[in-house]
Amino acid sequence: MNRTLLWTAVSFGGLVVLAYVGLSILAGGPKDAIEMLRFALPYMHRGKLKVGDSAPDAQLVALDGATRFHIRARSNGRPLVLVFGSFT
Amino acid sequence: MQIYEDYKDHADFLTIYIREAHPLDEWRMKSNEKDKDDVCYAQPKTLAQRVAIANDFTQRFKFPVPFGVDEMNNAANDAYAAWPERLYILDESGRISYKGGNGPFLYDPKEVRAWLAQRYGEVKHAEPAPEKKS
Repeated sequence: MNRTLLWTAVSFGGLVVLAYVGLSILAGGPKDAIEMLRFALPYMHRGKLKVGDSAPDAQLVALDGATRFHIRARSNGRPLVLVFGSFT
Repeated sequence: MQIYEDYKDHADFLTIYIREAHPLDEWRMKSNEKDKDDVCYAQPKTLAQRVAIANDFTQRFKFPVPFGVDEMNNAANDAYAAWPERLYILDESGRISYKGGNGPFLYDPKEVRAWLAQRYGEVKHAEPAPEKKS
């Protein structure tokens, strides 16, 4: 029984180490892996929208910082390509 | 953005600035510090800060694509699950016609170009010549 528990713990520990190493490689380093878990994963979602769904019409702010407009208002009867992103 | 130049006569484009992906006070990336443009910002805490970064971006890169900034409640980001970067195409009736994957690994502008090419045919204008530094 103790031997089973020991091997379970060792296997679990090995998996955790492997996952951390893999995440470090993916993120760019050990510190980046921690920061990725802390700051990126909470915000990264696949989302529930599907092709064919009505597009959400969130309100945005123009570059003058004051004018508001809705996303779909920028479609002039043509397809609208949305490019989401940030500077960094 | 070459796709915009190629297809702006057929489709509308809108860039939506959302919360920063790699600000100084969160998941900071060394590559941003090494970048010749030295892109280093803290995560904006106010709309004015967010708008200021968006203006810096559009001015630095003379970015031609129409631009909007997400409100501080991140309504657009949350509605489209957009962070850190993502592409969508809405059709004329306002329905999702293309949904890209989350960046950076699944962010693929080629899929947007293929969608537009399928509908309007291949369009490829010459890329603008880089500006000469004086």
